[in-house]
Amino acid sequence: MTPEMLSLSNSPGIFIGVMLVKILVVFMVVMLSVAYATWWERKIIGHMQTRLGPMRTGWHGLLQPFADGIKLFFKEEIIPTQATIVPFLLAPAMILVPALITVAVIPFGPDLHIGNFLIPQQITDLNVGVLYILAFAGLGIYGIVLAGWASNSKYSLLGGVRASAQMISYELAAGLTIIAVFMLSETLSLREIVALQQEPLWGICSFVPNWYVFTQPLAFGLFIITGLAEINRTPFDMPEAESELVSGFCTEYSSMKYALFFLAEYANMIVISAITATLFLGGWSAPLNWGLFNMIPGFVWLLAKVYFLMFCFMWLRATFPRVRYDQLMRMGWKVLLPLALANVVVTGLVVVVLQ
Amino acid sequence: MTTVLFYILGFIMLTATLLCITRRNPVHAVIYLVAGFFALALMFYLLGAPLAAAWQIIVYAGAIMVLFLFIIMMLGLAPQETPEGPGWRRWGPLVLLSASLMVCTVLLIMQDPAAGKEIGDFYLAPQAVGESLFGRYVLAVEMVSFQLLFATIGAYLLGRPLSKGEGQ
Amino acid sequence: MISVYHYMSVAAILFAMSTYGVLTRRNAIVIFMCIELMLNSVNLTFISLSSHLQNIDGQIFVFFVMAVAAAEAAVGLALMIAFYRNRESIDVDNINMLKW
Repeated sequence: MTPEMLSLSNSPGIFIGVMLVKILVVFMVVMLSVAYATWWERKIIGHMQTRLGPMRTGWHGLLQPFADGIKLFFKEEIIPTQATIVPFLLAPAMILVPALITVAVIPFGPDLHIGNFLIPQQITDLNVGVLYILAFAGLGIYGIVLAGWASNSKYSLLGGVRASAQMISYELAAGLTIIAVFMLSETLSLREIVALQQEPLWGICSFVPNWYVFTQPLAFGLFIITGLAEINRTPFDMPEAESELVSGFCTEYSSMKYALFFLAEYANMIVISAITATLFLGGWSAPLNWGLFNMIPGFVWLLAKVYFLMFCFMWLRATFPRVRYDQLMRMGWKVLLPLALANVVVTGLVVVVLQ
Repeated sequence: MTTVLFYILGFIMLTATLLCITRRNPVHAVIYLVAGFFALALMFYLLGAPLAAAWQIIVYAGAIMVLFLFIIMMLGLAPQETPEGPGWRRWGPLVLLSASLMVCTVLLIMQDPAAGKEIGDFYLAPQAVGESLFGRYVLAVEMVSFQLLFATIGAYLLGRPLSKGEGQ
Repeated sequence: MISVYHYMSVAAILFAMSTYGVLTRRNAIVIFMCIELMLNSVNLTFISLSSHLQNIDGQIFVFFVMAVAAAEAAVGLALMIAFYRNRESIDVDNINMLKW
């Protein structure tokens, strides 16, 4: 009897159980990675600046995330009297939720064969997966803009305005770079995109997989830059620039709500790394088609790629100063957007010629 | 399942729209509208149009509404309230008329014999939409892209700072 | 059971409500949002009919409507900024320069 794909129609009980387990595991992994990303970032930046970073709590400061969490949890909750209360309270959650929801379409391994069923190692496989990611990446902005507006403080409002302008400009370029990828893959399902990237490189070199970073190096670079801008990471952290806007949209926040902004920032970083890894670096597949590498389970490779990309983002933070706002806009509209368009045109030409 | 979802989504969408057109503060209106657009996107999904649902969220909720919020905040319109709309005495009859017209239309189309057919067993894959867009409708796609280009240039011209001696 | 007419009714109510919004509001941005809502109710009829008739063209038209709406939003909001520069307000009652 051939195994069939587990679905809601053939055994609803098992399906819902497996789904809950998958959601729980993915959520736990993302949350733990977020907690340790804070520690990791402090350590890496510390060592890059010839400091040690956190050392006191646990071995080399390993318990630092928990200490930070407990500290923020017991801080006083302050709500400004002039703030609009409901959006002020909801805004941090509005940033975090889209980030966590996006993880649902990231595949983290091949189908598991258990009993009579094939269980995909992915929470859900949408056939518009890539567009789903773009859609939810665009929704996180409402949290930032509302936080800035509801705080009723001029720095917060400036942060919110900056965030919205930055988002509109860079989402366009990010979308266009992704178009080049699915012109090659001819599908929007992330599961199939990963499957296509496991084939031999350009159909000849069987040792190296056909990762899209080799065929689309420009799109990879552009996506990293626009992704950084979309999640407001350091060279582009205009909305919360501490030195000019007194940390922008989160100026008026304190205690757990501030901690939620922090969680959202790192969760967004993990999400953008996971998307980049899935679209360009072969997702959960091994970097070389070699027996020993293929024995390592898929989620290890995916996590390794995600952590590597996150390390690169932290490296960028330690290296580059913040860009000025007009430079940011000029780069978005006059450099990244034309480059992304040119990439789409060239990709289209090559695809047509190769047919 | 589809029935329950339809009623929930329809309720959310209509309530959000109602709140959107009655709020005094434009920021509130934008937020209600985003909720309404989201419900609408889910309704598209229910109708077997996942691609249109994704476009709906990306284009409307992700870009156009953020643009509206940006303009509202940049012009500093958020704190000041818009003035009172026209009173019920002037607009009441019109509202009543259009409402009864609406009820009639709804009742009429509900009585149509073809209304019995169940909807929702239609599902359109993104590939089919792409082939149709860039096959049969390629000329229209080119025209729309030119329109977007002209709109970009137009918005730039309207929005650029006035030079000396202009606009007086 | 949900038929295409249920969806059409929702779209009709949506269109009526947004028309009411356009007629009664004075803030130009809110009027503009109501126009977007009208376009959306038309989109809903397109998609429900495309599903009802098992025809692809309805969804293609939704694509065009969205592209037009995006262009319209860009130009319209730029107009509003230009107007705000002159009048310090975007209340439509102040847009009366053609009334001389």
